Amino acid sequence: MPQHAHPEAMAPSKPGSTRTAPPLRPPQLPFAGRYRAYTLFGWTGLLYLLLGFLALRVVWALGDGKQAFDAVIASFEHPLYIAFHVLALVGVVFVGVRFFRLFPKAQPPRIGPVKPPPPAVILTALYAVWIGVTVVFAAILAGGIFA
Amino acid sequence: MSDVQKKTFVVTRFDPDRDQVPKTQSYEVPVEPDWKVLDALNFIKDHIDPTLSHRWSCRMAVCGSCGMLVNGEPKLTCKVALSSYGDTVEVAPLPNFPVIRDLVVELDGFMEKFEHVKPWIIRAKERAVEDGPMRQSPEELEEFKHFSMCINCMLCYAACPVVANEPEFLGPAAIALGHRYSLDSRDEGAGERNRIFRGEGTVFACSYANECSEVCPKNVDPAAAVNQAKLKAVIDWAAGLVLPRRAEE
Amino acid sequence: MTEVLRHDVVIVGGGAAGLRAAIAAVEADPGISVALVSKVYPMRSHTVSAEGGAAAVARDDDSFEMHGYDTVKGSDFLGDQDVIQYFVEQAPPELTRLEHWGCPWSRNADGTVATRAFGGMTTKRTWYAADKVGFHMLHTLFQHSMRFDRIVRYDEQFVTKLLVEDGAVRGVAALDIRQGEVRAILGRAVILATGGAGKCFPFTTNGNIKTGDGMALAYREGVALKDMEFVQYHPTGLPGTGILITEATRGEGGRLFNARGERFLETKPEYGVGSKLELGPRDMISRAIFQEIRAGNGIQGTFGEYVHLDLTHLGRELLEKRLPFVLELARTYAGVDPVTQPIPIRPVVHYMMGGVDTDIDGATELAGLYAVGECAAHSMNGANRLGSNSLTECLVFGARAGRHAVGHAKDSGDGSEDPLRRQVEEEAARIDGLRGRAKGSEKLTQVRDEMTQAMESGCGVYREQASMRSATETLAQLRRRCADVALEDRSRVFNTEIVAALELVNMIDVAETVAVAALQRRESRGAHACSEFPGRNDREFLHHSLVYYEPAGPRFDKKDVALGRWEPEERKY
Repeated sequence: MPQHAHPEAMAPSKPGSTRTAPPLRPPQLPFAGRYRAYTLFGWTGLLYLLLGFLALRVVWALGDGKQAFDAVIASFEHPLYIAFHVLALVGVVFVGVRFFRLFPKAQPPRIGPVKPPPPAVILTALYAVWIGVTVVFAAILAGGIFA
Repeated sequence: MSDVQKKTFVVTRFDPDRDQVPKTQSYEVPVEPDWKVLDALNFIKDHIDPTLSHRWSCRMAVCGSCGMLVNGEPKLTCKVALSSYGDTVEVAPLPNFPVIRDLVVELDGFMEKFEHVKPWIIRAKERAVEDGPMRQSPEELEEFKHFSMCINCMLCYAACPVVANEPEFLGPAAIALGHRYSLDSRDEGAGERNRIFRGEGTVFACSYANECSEVCPKNVDPAAAVNQAKLKAVIDWAAGLVLPRRAEE
Repeated sequence: MTEVLRHDVVIVGGGAAGLRAAIAAVEADPGISVALVSKVYPMRSHTVSAEGGAAAVARDDDSFEMHGYDTVKGSDFLGDQDVIQYFVEQAPPELTRLEHWGCPWSRNADGTVATRAFGGMTTKRTWYAADKVGFHMLHTLFQHSMRFDRIVRYDEQFVTKLLVEDGAVRGVAALDIRQGEVRAILGRAVILATGGAGKCFPFTTNGNIKTGDGMALAYREGVALKDMEFVQYHPTGLPGTGILITEATRGEGGRLFNARGERFLETKPEYGVGSKLELGPRDMISRAIFQEIRAGNGIQGTFGEYVHLDLTHLGRELLEKRLPFVLELARTYAGVDPVTQPIPIRPVVHYMMGGVDTDIDGATELAGLYAVGECAAHSMNGANRLGSNSLTECLVFGARAGRHAVGHAKDSGDGSEDPLRRQVEEEAARIDGLRGRAKGSEKLTQVRDEMTQAMESGCGVYREQASMRSATETLAQLRRRCADVALEDRSRVFNTEIVAALELVNMIDVAETVAVAALQRRESRGAHACSEFPGRNDREFLHHSLVYYEPAGPRFDKKDVALGRWEPEERKY
């Protein structure tokens, strides 16, 4: 990775009166220290892109009839697909936890007269919704409901 | 004098009159147990090498002059104890800033961003002095107080991965300051600032790395301010669609 | 070719007083152009370190009469009473303005501005924003000043000389620290707002930038420095670093104890603080602590002896709410937690009551030159300043001087530029000659250390004739030796060695006036405690001291104190 930040980083609109050395990049960016988690967080975007393509493929197959759909679902049993889904699950959990951790403090102190609940309540609610949605989807997939 | 311990300081040097690029220089410094990093730099300046240039003043973590990169982390050198480092301490100018000389970085770029967020009380009609101070409840004060604690030490800019890549980004301290005024019950300029915040390179350029809040020596939590400002800007925009009069605020 | 910049009013210094003057100037006339010249970026100015608060009458049980009398008595009757009268009347509107500009003052439950007790004040009249009042005031003023396009900032420009022609000041010569050029910044009025000179002493609450620059600039142009012998020791600084622990700690109920666990201000009435105890004025409490240490009642530490400031009985909640900065400072710089442990403290040089001799408008005897803030002596602080009066002073007299400077600038003509250009070229050549002057035989840090040592031994809390005399002699020698200091840094860019060398000359000039004035005052008054003359002597010394620059050495003179409203009486609490 380059040692330098963007050459114009924090430069004034008019160049200064003396020659300057170009701005350095934070030395731990992108892979060391706390930046590692942030960089990985950015890279999980790739996983969602691939997941999106897979979802599209399933929907496409649906239009081609039950046989095609079953074939696509069956293809997901390939070890590479399983590995990818496990990786995607780890990514989603990682992003979820990170998002939940940072979410409460991004709440404005109030919107008009309404104040957001305290961080602990927000966090609990977020995790409860997450677990709830997971349970519902698991039930659907297991054929417990909408079967 | 207690037992004299020595540490090696590897300091970045750059003199545009003589150097094409920055280089490093090592100094052996006898250190006292209670010293901060700044004490060692001042010892070098006073007793070893008077040509070393660095900024400092209050040495009590409130003037914001002495932010530098110490062993790879942005730090206020007057606040961080030498005892928390090993025998070798690397001191470099803050990253993400052009370097004027040695440990001194260019601040004018920041000053422009700082002014851009209109960091002052905006009111439709200014209150007369004869009418006395405005009322503000302790709760209203609490809503913005910690965002007003910024000492402009620039550590957050030095840590921000977005600042490293996007020169237009207003950055943590400036946005936090604008947001501080928008949250102040005495201010009526939130609409104006929200228009600024909806512009290119402002709050939405932030990818919430949270690094600014990690390195802030005054617990300002600029990441919270920036991300609150995102929501506020969106709400303001949405409200403007529904209630056209609000958009004029 | 020397660059010449033109403005109407040039302000030197970007702290509270300078910023307030700048805002007042553009408010008085939006067409006026103001140059705000500072050797640092304004938010670094030392106003930032003030902690406790700013005084102004706010409560129903208070009055201008009471604030005025407290200030006069605190000054040991050396404050000019017309100036003090104006100050107390203007204090509330000035702090109100700051409130309107966004200063986050701490509040009572009903939303009104909260006030706290302070030393030497009879009632709660100190407005505060937790314990970072200077910080919040400075940042509020600086941010508010950005609204005005007519205030043009010159950051990190070090003023090295006042440009004087035909008996009037016409601008300044300023060294651009970044690129090393000296240029002229011309204005028909110049306001000095450069703060104090605490760095003349080895042990001070003051930051590195407080080197008496404005005082020295005016002094060298023949303007008197007034009441320079009065140097305030703040009773509570951290040993070693000298970092300030605010008087608000005592305002909120903090107590002082010696090594025997004795609350000595209570047990020893001879210290003269009466029932005020820890809320006595700073001069008296500093002397009390000093005497305790001298009597062997101090606690031995790495940095000499100290006494304890105890806040443990106030409780964590109050400390975190009202004194969070004190908690941070004590934990970071003294390694103690004030919630559970007493803080080690000792008296430390804090403030110069003296400064550039001005009238109530901030005007000096040199036409067009004004001074405000700590670098000025309008004579409201006399022989001892009350805590929390100085932040308000910066606003009240900053504003007044700003308005008067505009009036002066509009009434005077531009005159010829050529002689000023010549002066700046000479100044540029002088400073160029300093760059990398390696031939010198003296070491900058050595001369600086000798100066601070001379000041500590000659002009400390207690002063003796012999040590004061020896200090004046040492300083006169150092002034000569200063010209022979070796400088190694040849770079033009951000050469802080040159700045330090110029600051050293300023400090020695100012230090000399302190020692000379102290030697002349053969009495004890306010912060000036002379061992041989322990009493106040109104018959001979109820006057201001003036020190004038002469090439051969400082010349001493006197000036009457403006009395009339409150008659001098014994200062008892």
